[in-house]
Amino acid sequence: MILETTALSYDFGSGRRIQFPDLRILAGEKVVVVGPSGSGKSTLLNLLCGVLPVQDGSIRLLNQSYKDLSPLRLDKVRADHIGIIFQSLNLIPYLSGFDNAVLGLRFSKARKNRVKDLARTVASLATQLGLPPDTLERNPSGLSIGQQQRIAVIRAMLGYPALILADEPTSALDPVATQQFISELNKSVDSSTQSVIVVSHDPEIIPLFDRVIEIEPAS
Amino acid sequence: MIGIVLASMRSRLIPIVLVIVALSTSMALLLAIDRVHDATKTGFNQSLSGVDLVLGPRGSGLELVLYTVFHLGKPTNNITTTTLSDISNDPMIEWAVPVALGDSHRGFRVISTTSEYFDYVKFGGDQSIEFAQGVPFEKLHEVVIGSEVAKTLGYNLGTSLFVTHGSETLGKSHDDFAFQVSGILAPTGTPTDKAVFVSLEGYELIHLGWSNGSKAISLRDLDASAIPRDRLYPKTVTAVYLGLTSKLGLFKFIRTVNEYPDEAISAVIPGVALAELWSMVGAVDKAFQILNWLIIGISLVGMVTMTLTGLDSRTREMTILRSLGASPYALASLVLLETLVIGILAVTSAVGLVRLLTWAAADLLSDWTGIRTELTWLAPAEFFTLIIIVLAGLVTSLIPAAMVYKRSIHRGFLN
Repeated sequence: MILETTALSYDFGSGRRIQFPDLRILAGEKVVVVGPSGSGKSTLLNLLCGVLPVQDGSIRLLNQSYKDLSPLRLDKVRADHIGIIFQSLNLIPYLSGFDNAVLGLRFSKARKNRVKDLARTVASLATQLGLPPDTLERNPSGLSIGQQQRIAVIRAMLGYPALILADEPTSALDPVATQQFISELNKSVDSSTQSVIVVSHDPEIIPLFDRVIEIEPAS
Repeated sequence: MIGIVLASMRSRLIPIVLVIVALSTSMALLLAIDRVHDATKTGFNQSLSGVDLVLGPRGSGLELVLYTVFHLGKPTNNITTTTLSDISNDPMIEWAVPVALGDSHRGFRVISTTSEYFDYVKFGGDQSIEFAQGVPFEKLHEVVIGSEVAKTLGYNLGTSLFVTHGSETLGKSHDDFAFQVSGILAPTGTPTDKAVFVSLEGYELIHLGWSNGSKAISLRDLDASAIPRDRLYPKTVTAVYLGLTSKLGLFKFIRTVNEYPDEAISAVIPGVALAELWSMVGAVDKAFQILNWLIIGISLVGMVTMTLTGLDSRTREMTILRSLGASPYALASLVLLETLVIGILAVTSAVGLVRLLTWAAADLLSDWTGIRTELTWLAPAEFFTLIIIVLAGLVTSLIPAAMVYKRSIHRGFLN
């Protein structure tokens, strides 16, 4: 088991509260979370990342309960075991594609140690994701949105984190590119050790995942 | 971390360079003012030793010392040699060396005096004036030149020169009487290096037949050797350097001089006159220093403002770093590290700039007074001042760092 949540809820104050369904994510599982706007999909991801505090219920990642961890320790867990892909603007503008791709390793020795030959691993992931070799040398301003998203995938994948979280990663892509992107993302995941949770409101991508989790609008 | 900081700074190169320039310039000015002040003070204080009193016409003691010792300004009055001989006979006086000023040679001041000048007047504590070449003047046409004069004008022993009437370079020349270099002084780092020394009698001789700044009789028509030496002893001199038999009677003697009935004269302790100068200069120094600290403060505020205004545009950068596991402390430390890098760069440039400024100021000072100051890198006290400024920068950067910390703590980034 990679991730397990039990009776997880989040109170925004002023009477608005979200009750999340229990999650049990196994190694190699690719899950899509869907729900209408304001249903709390992003809040769920923020809780899973460990940046929002667990108020009620529990989250366990690789058998570690978030409630038992200090905020600093949670940051370390995120650095070591979670790869994150944003909706857009995933890259730091003043760093090259390569430097952006390897940025996560600066914050995690564990992930750095898991990569044997960094340059070769990055190049291999880039090829797998269909990125031309010179893409990694360019700064984000010289890359298309799709290329930027793929570099963000490399960054999230490097060092084999147990959990990949992606928040609407295809919202800036056209339908063809979306299908291609999700397929490449899923293919890049090591099915024996890694899991993927993607949040999306695009029903077209549901068939590309093993399982779909629906979130009800907040009460 | 430092790699990220440096890359981030490179992306904001222009504002960061401007902040570094502002900080380093103000730091350099602060240190340079202090250095020039200290070097000038040391240089002035070391320029004249062994002289207990400077006797001159009554007036400003500081002015008397400035124009006799440092050749700054012009003498306005003289004292008679009758008074000089009267004062010299006082039992408290061990030696008296008269000086007469007014003329120049190609921009260098001419000092007419006795050869005892080189025996009694000292510099840099207790160092005697040494001859690099030759001997003191003895005959009327002999002249001794300072090391800087010899170097600048390329003069050697035996070189002939004419003295110009007055201190202006384009004044009328005493071209009817040539002096010949009999001695070249060793460098002293004091105004002596830029002086031309002639005997009182030689100086009097070239002024024979001069009236109201114009020459009436040419010395070419006279046989100078036929004039008895004592007839050429001047009636007036500009000032007299005095050495006392005992320092205990110094103030009593000053009182005697001030109450001298036959002529309005006064005696000045050189160190006291200079102390007056430093107290005057000190107030200006303080004002400059306060102004500089203000500029440093403004530069630091500018640096914080730059960081604060850049925070919004750096939200994405901070969010990405946070998503990769950077703690709020790590993000705040990025801001502090950036300030530290700016501080170190500013200090490094300031040190170079201080050396450049000190070097330029030392050159100006040397041109102006002949005082040569020592160039040094960074004294411990100066280093401490720079560290204080960097620490002040770090303290002021705690504001944006705290803002970054507050913004990132318990705030979701996936939305």
